[in-house]
This record gives sequence, C-alpha cells and structure tokens, in this order.
Amino acid sequence: MEAYLVAIAIVALIYVLLALGLTLQYGFTGLINFGHVGFFAIGAYTSAILAMNGLPLVLSFAAGTIVAGLAAWPIGLIALRLRDDYFAIVTLGFSETVRLVITSEKWLTNGVQGIPAIPRMFAGISVGSLASFAVLAVLLVVTIVAILGMGRIVKSPFGRIIEAIRDNEDAVKALGKDPARFKVQVLILGSGLAGLAGAFYAHYITYIVPDQFIPLVTFYVWMAIIIGGVGRVSGAVVGTVLLMVLLEGSRFIRDVMPFISDVEMASVRLGVIGLLLILFTIYRPQGLMGDFTRR
Amino acid sequence: MFYAQLIVNGLVQGLIVGLAALAVTLVFGVARFANAATGDTMTFGAYAALIGHKATGSLVVAGGAAVGATALLSLTVYALVFRKLAGRSVVALLVTSIGVGFLLRSVLGIVFGHNQQLFTVPLVRPIRFNGLIINPFDLQLAAVAAVALVGVFLVLYATPIGRRMRAVADNRELALVSGIRPERVMIALWLLVGAVTGVAGMMLGMKTIVSPELGWEMLLPAFAAAILGGIGSPVGAVLAGLLLGVAQELSTPFVGFTYKLSISFVVLLLVLLVRPRGLFGRLEGVR
Repeated sequence: MEAYLVAIAIVALIYVLLALGLTLQYGFTGLINFGHVGFFAIGAYTSAILAMNGLPLVLSFAAGTIVAGLAAWPIGLIALRLRDDYFAIVTLGFSETVRLVITSEKWLTNGVQGIPAIPRMFAGISVGSLASFAVLAVLLVVTIVAILGMGRIVKSPFGRIIEAIRDNEDAVKALGKDPARFKVQVLILGSGLAGLAGAFYAHYITYIVPDQFIPLVTFYVWMAIIIGGVGRVSGAVVGTVLLMVLLEGSRFIRDVMPFISDVEMASVRLGVIGLLLILFTIYRPQGLMGDFTRR
Repeated sequence: MFYAQLIVNGLVQGLIVGLAALAVTLVFGVARFANAATGDTMTFGAYAALIGHKATGSLVVAGGAAVGATALLSLTVYALVFRKLAGRSVVALLVTSIGVGFLLRSVLGIVFGHNQQLFTVPLVRPIRFNGLIINPFDLQLAAVAAVALVGVFLVLYATPIGRRMRAVADNRELALVSGIRPERVMIALWLLVGAVTGVAGMMLGMKTIVSPELGWEMLLPAFAAAILGGIGSPVGAVLAGLLLGVAQELSTPFVGFTYKLSISFVVLLLVLLVRPRGLFGRLEGVR
C-alpha cells in the first residue's frame, strides 16, 4: 500500500509539473497550447536516449529540459503570429508530428517497440522502496522550486506583462512592448517544464513507447487546470490531485467490477474526461479554486 | 503511370478530406470556432452507416442512416452544448468541442467495442483504363460525394436558409439587424454540417476499417484543408481537400507511409506562413 501511494504521488507530481507549464502558457499568458504532450515526449525521449548511451542522469535531465524548451522556439516563432484558434491547431499538429517521428525513426527511438530498461534514478540505492522515496523527495523539491519560481515570475514585471497580454494584447502593444517576444519566452519556459516532467516520467516508468504520448495526455492536463481554476498555481495543483483520483480511482472500480475490460475502462475514462471538460466550461469556467462570487 | 495511379487513389481520399473540411469550414464561418469534434462525429456516421448496411445490405440505406443519424446528433450537440456557449471565448468552444469528441468516442467504444469492423462489399473486377486501375466501388463513393456536395451547395446557394447562413457568416451583426433569426440559421447549419460529416464518415469507414479511433486521425487533414481552402469558403475547402488527398498519396513513395499523415501539418504551416487567407479566403485576412 505504501509503495502504491508513493508511486501515485510520483506520477501526480509529474502531472503537477505539466500542469504548471500549461498554467504559465495558458493560465497566465492565454496561449492555447494543445500540443503539451509533444514537449513531454521530447523531454522523455531525449533524456532516455542520452542516459542509455551512458550520460549521467543529471545531465540527461538537463538535456531533456533544454531540448524540449528549444523545440518550442521555432513553433513559437511560427505560430505566435497566428490567431488563438490557429495556434491551438498548429500545436496539436506539432504533438502528433512528434509522435509520428518517434514512431518512424526506429534507429533513434526503436519505433513502436519503445525504449525498455531506461536507467532508474538512484539506482545505487539497493532497497527498492528507499529509492522510490528518494525519487519522490527530489520531485517534491523540483515541484516546490517550480511553484515558488512561478510565484516569483507572476509578481515580476515579466509576469505583469504576460498577464496583460492575456487580458488585452493590443493595450500591451500600445505601451510599446512586443507581445510576441514574451509569448515565445513563456512557451519555451512552459515546454521546458514539460520536458523535465518527461525526463522524470521516462526514468521512473523506465519504459517508454510512442503510445504513451497521445493527445489525450495533453487534455488530461487541460482538464486538471480547468477543474482547478485557470490562471492559478493552486488551481493547477488541486486540479492535478483530482485528475489522479479520477485516473487511479478507475483502477479500483475494476477491482470491484472485474468484468469491465481494460479497453472498456479506457473508454469510460475518456468519456469522463470529455464530460468534465464540457460541464466545467459551461457551468464553472473559473474552476474550483477560482473566484466563487462570479460565474 | 505509377504517379497517375497515386493521383487516382488520392482523389477518393481527397473527397473524404474535402467533405470533412467542408464541415469544419461551415462551422468556422457561421458559428466561428474550430470544431474539434468533427473527426469523432465522422466516426459516429461510419457506425450509423455500418448498422444500416448490416441490417439491409443496401448502400443507399447505409447512406441514409449515416446522413440522418449524424444530422440529428449534430443538432443535439448544438442544442445541449454549443448553444450554451454562445458569445464565449474561442478557447471555451475549442475545449468543449474536444470534450464532445472524447465523449462521442468513448460512447462508441463502449457500445460497439474496440474490434475493427468492416463493410462487407462485394468484390468487383477493377476497371482498367489505359493501364490505370480504377475500382468501381471508388467510383460509387465518388458519386456519393458528388451528390452530397451538390446537395450542400444547393442548400447554401439556392435556398433562403442558405442565403441567411451566408449572410450570418459574412457579417453577423448586419444579418441580425436585417431580421434574420440566428436560432433558425444555427439549427439549419448544424443539420447541414451533421449530414456532410455523416457522409464523410461513411466514406472513410468504407475505404478503411471502422473503429472508434477512425475519425480522430482525419481531424488534422480536415483542419489543414479548411485553412488551405480559405476558412469559411466551402468551394475552397473541397478543392483543398482534393489537393491534400492527392498530395498525401503522391508523397508516400518519398516519405513513407507513416509520414504521409504529417503532410497535412506541413501544408498547414506553409499556408499559415505564406498565405493565411488560403486559396479562396476572402472573409478574413487575419491569421
């Protein structure tokens, strides 16, 4: 039971990192990134491939973060001149293209078979549960640093500008600021965070295949921040906890009702995510942690 | 000759993309959002056609079932979901349409299972024409698409409700001031969009294998074709769909089967960078 809770906590924190990245991009700046999972995948594969070739994990994690952030740069330059909805479509297309590339380039990513036996973190600690605790501790520290860092960013002049871009881009332009530059920076930061989350994911799960990086993951994160409350760090955290309850809870339902098959359960999960996205957008767009006084 | 064959194959695929893009562009033009549920609505149409076909064995009944059921579904989704979001931001509508798509796919997966199902159509000897191999079934599908297209364009350009729809797409405020009832236009729009999506879904299902994931893969090509054709331009959407279908097939010998899907992404980027109005766009020069 303890091992199970630790495992859930680790996955939850990975999702918190993803949600924080999206909160920075959508919540604070208003960028509709529908391709978050693409950057998550880039981080995971970069770190896994480098570590398999003998690079120390600290460096491979850094590389995963940086490569994911850099991948956002050209996308940002191209797409940020576009309208909101076009940006969403382009990023969605980007994440699907990333998935096609990791499926097809077998020499690099081993295609659909995926990369097995990725080096674990803290492989030196022989006691299994202790190693998991160490992973959890590191993730917790990283997440707290990310949350504090985001708090700093939001209160800084940079944060005021990105929030102003979300609220009224023309006004920001009129003040002589270039919104596009700030948007690219935000996109890189958020995607780097997603890449870091990907690196943790790859080295914790130790096995990655292209099918783990479908657009559904992007919308798990979207659901988390919409339920939690868009544009709030607390919302990202609360939303992710609820997401984990939902994803993991469905596993327990199968214990009670074993006649439901795996694929059926996946369908049910998909449906619940869809329904929550619809209901929250219609009836409670500000999310659970949002302002309760207005609708 | 090899390439000519690829072009012929691409045309049928292109008709499907074109119909899907037509659905996307109609919603975008009149209701003003990118409907990400289009793909999964196509899947629904494919299953409706499958049921109709299994029950009677007639392709006409299958087509009728696809058109009728999908039009009704589309109207229901509008009444229950999109109508409540009128006047809300683009994100709200986009995210909700993703949610609608997921919900549809989930329900289809639960009801029909994840086994791949096939339309059992009789095998016919292909027609050879100067070395080109043409499957008569493809000709039937092309005829179905042509009928659907003629139907849509008749509604759009030869009926009062079509004129009102175009008026709302052109200038919503002006249309409302002129006494056009937006509710009626929306009902007609979603019925029409549903019918088109149903036909596209049925054709896709007949060309490939019916599974709950069938339509999602078509979403990106449909968006790409709608933008390439110029958003809000029905003629442009169909022509761009044909172009994209042919381009996908022609690219296969060079980039391989998997990457053929990413052609639509590349086309999408190029159009947005070079000519965001698309080929026939006149409505908005905004990108």
